[in-house]
Amino acid sequence: MAVSPNQTVAEFFDELGKRGQDPRLNKAKGTARFDVVDGSRTERWLLTIDKGDIGVSHKNAAADCLVRANKAFFDRAVAGKQNFFAGVLRGEVTVEGDPKLLVLLQRLFPRPSDRRRRRPSSSARRKQ
Amino acid sequence: MSNGIVKILDGNTFVVSDASGDIEASPTDPTGLFSYDTRFLSKWILTINGERMNPLSVDDLQYFETRFFLVPGTGTVYVDAKLSVIRQRAVENGFHEKLTILNHAEKPVDLTVRIDAGCDFADLFEVKDALEKKGKYSSRVDGDKLVLGYDRETFNRSTVISASESARIDKSGLTFKIRIAPHDEWSTHLDVAAGLAGLRRERIDDPEASQRRMRRNLERWIDEAPRLECDNDPLKATYRRSLVDLAALRFAPAITGGRSLPAAGLPWFMTMFGRDSIFTSLQALPFTSELAATTLRAFGDWQGVGLDDFRDEDPGRILHEMRYGEMTAFEERPHSPYYGTVDATPLYVILLDEYERWTGDRALVRELEVEARAALNWIDEYADIPGGTGYIWYKRRNEKTGLENQCWKDSWDSISFRDGTLPGFPRATCELQGYAYDAKLRGARLAREIWKDDELADELERGAADLKRRFNRDYWVEDGEYFALALDPDGRQVDALGSNIGHLLWSGIVDKQKAKAVASHLLGPKLFSGWGVRTLAEGETRYNPIGYHVGTVWPFDNSFIAWGLRRYGFKEDAAVIAAGILDAAEFFEGRLPEAFGGYERSQTMYPVQYPTACSPQAWSTGTPLLLLRTMLGLEPRGEYLVVDPALPSAIGHLELLDIPGRWGHVDAFGRGRVDVDRKRR
Repeated sequence: MAVSPNQTVAEFFDELGKRGQDPRLNKAKGTARFDVVDGSRTERWLLTIDKGDIGVSHKNAAADCLVRANKAFFDRAVAGKQNFFAGVLRGEVTVEGDPKLLVLLQRLFPRPSDRRRRRPSSSARRKQ
Repeated sequence: MSNGIVKILDGNTFVVSDASGDIEASPTDPTGLFSYDTRFLSKWILTINGERMNPLSVDDLQYFETRFFLVPGTGTVYVDAKLSVIRQRAVENGFHEKLTILNHAEKPVDLTVRIDAGCDFADLFEVKDALEKKGKYSSRVDGDKLVLGYDRETFNRSTVISASESARIDKSGLTFKIRIAPHDEWSTHLDVAAGLAGLRRERIDDPEASQRRMRRNLERWIDEAPRLECDNDPLKATYRRSLVDLAALRFAPAITGGRSLPAAGLPWFMTMFGRDSIFTSLQALPFTSELAATTLRAFGDWQGVGLDDFRDEDPGRILHEMRYGEMTAFEERPHSPYYGTVDATPLYVILLDEYERWTGDRALVRELEVEARAALNWIDEYADIPGGTGYIWYKRRNEKTGLENQCWKDSWDSISFRDGTLPGFPRATCELQGYAYDAKLRGARLAREIWKDDELADELERGAADLKRRFNRDYWVEDGEYFALALDPDGRQVDALGSNIGHLLWSGIVDKQKAKAVASHLLGPKLFSGWGVRTLAEGETRYNPIGYHVGTVWPFDNSFIAWGLRRYGFKEDAAVIAAGILDAAEFFEGRLPEAFGGYERSQTMYPVQYPTACSPQAWSTGTPLLLLRTMLGLEPRGEYLVVDPALPSAIGHLELLDIPGRWGHVDAFGRGRVDVDRKRR
């Protein structure tokens, strides 16, 4: 997955929806809602995950896992500048519901050194 | 219990107090109530009419509950007590304490019972390193509760204290003004709840029901483990101690649905710990497979997916250590989680295969196919740091707070040349190459039999064969006839003799014709102390019988060495090591320490404990279990369990009954026939 350093939260979730599939979520099944709080406005992204298939919508529906943080946090997270779990420990992100789903979902956020040091990976071991 | 320090725990919540149940922590000592790597109570002092308590006795009921019998007054002469006090305390999302005061006099008494409470909310890392806090403290009375708090930006931790009886609550504690009739008693339930914003677990409303549940759970744990019958009483005691301590060391992270994996040790290491949790799960497999299954699932969920230099994360890498405290939250430490270990990843594949060989649980092997492939991929794609060598190396990318030594001997001076010189980085220690070899072969079996991928299986087998050939050439120290500890950045052999060669036997990477020489070293006078194999051989420049990884004997290390000796057919040598370590266990009442001194057995007559704050420690606790396996020669072969005993004669008759596995339950019998004393000479 290419990491775009300046991608916005909207671009990140849109891209997830377009991709439609991610092997890193093969074990995940359920719904997760990300509430991105920007002042008095809250933007909601509902992810429906079924063994690697991802659907993204703006529905304001109940979910198995509700993840809530302000926009500044998500801006950093989608740019690979913020470790997700540290944000949870710090109380900057609140999580309600299935914590296992969150552990799998945090895989989707880029890592800070991804761009700089990506090495070619051998396709032989990777099962898509 | 040692030095009046009493510890009780449940998962990563634990209480350390003095023998009267009081907590009076200084910034640097590990007493208090801890949960999720944060101290939630640093002061908890009981007084009656202004007097502190004098301990009469402490009853360690279970690992999660204890009872203190006390009398008021701390004088040195015998107290003519008209009052006695019982504090019964159990850990559970904080702790719960039933305080009972008995009046033995013929007159009523009026008492002022006071609990002073306070908290510094120290991170475990701060307790170890004595660091300053950056946030703000608060203390408020909220109705019938005392709420102690700590805030730093969005980070919030709180301790909520309440009592079942009416109390006057102020910002630093609770006061009860009571009258107890003659020969009557008074009691109250005190509740101390640890509050973690964002991490809160479900509160259990009935603490006594929760304690009953924990007691039943412990009984079931013991009942379900194989039963040991033998002539040797100390061995029976050691076995029982191991089972109970292993139960205490179980830790259920939030993502495992209540299932447990082994944490590394009490009190500092009650967390997921890559290497320790995996080694302990391997040791325990013939006795319980639950720990392995949970370890595999949880570590799979947290497997690295990208490159993060601060956390030393790579795609496919298995975590080293997870922490939940303030310094991790603010990224002053990289443990969210930290990935700086290079052995956990190949060991993950080894555990998955060994787990299936015992349980026949193919479903889990299929469930974790992606993770196991990614782990195997990591070995070739990310662990070969110089590139093109085909070996696993380590060199931290986080140079500030990362770990310099990412193998199990993680102290600064553990890897040295004979002349004591330390090599630079990256380093490729020998046992890592053994683990990689074993992981490839075991991965190949899983690929062929379960994932139905012959191409991958062939590739892994070719890789393993090539690795073995190169390893036996590049690491073999010709003039000493053993394997070098490591290769240095220039590919030179780091040529000191250490216990690492025993792990090589366990992995099977040693050429058959070289195995005899390796075994002779392990049982020879430079490495073998009479109790066990030293981490570094006597005679090496850095050898020190009480040096952490440069001369002490590590029980866990020895259990894998014994397994390795068995693998190459040196049954009697394995029995000698088992006998030495189990003899040592007797001196520690069945609870083997992390390490003990490498002094010659004939010189000290007893094993000299290495001073350490961590006990019980998981892989020491697992050691007697793995030694039972190696002595009985338990080995799954298809749907059967092979039993091929080689027991030290001192053990006499031994039966291990109801060994669980893919065969259902089977019994193993053996009689001690190996004359250990003769062998030792």
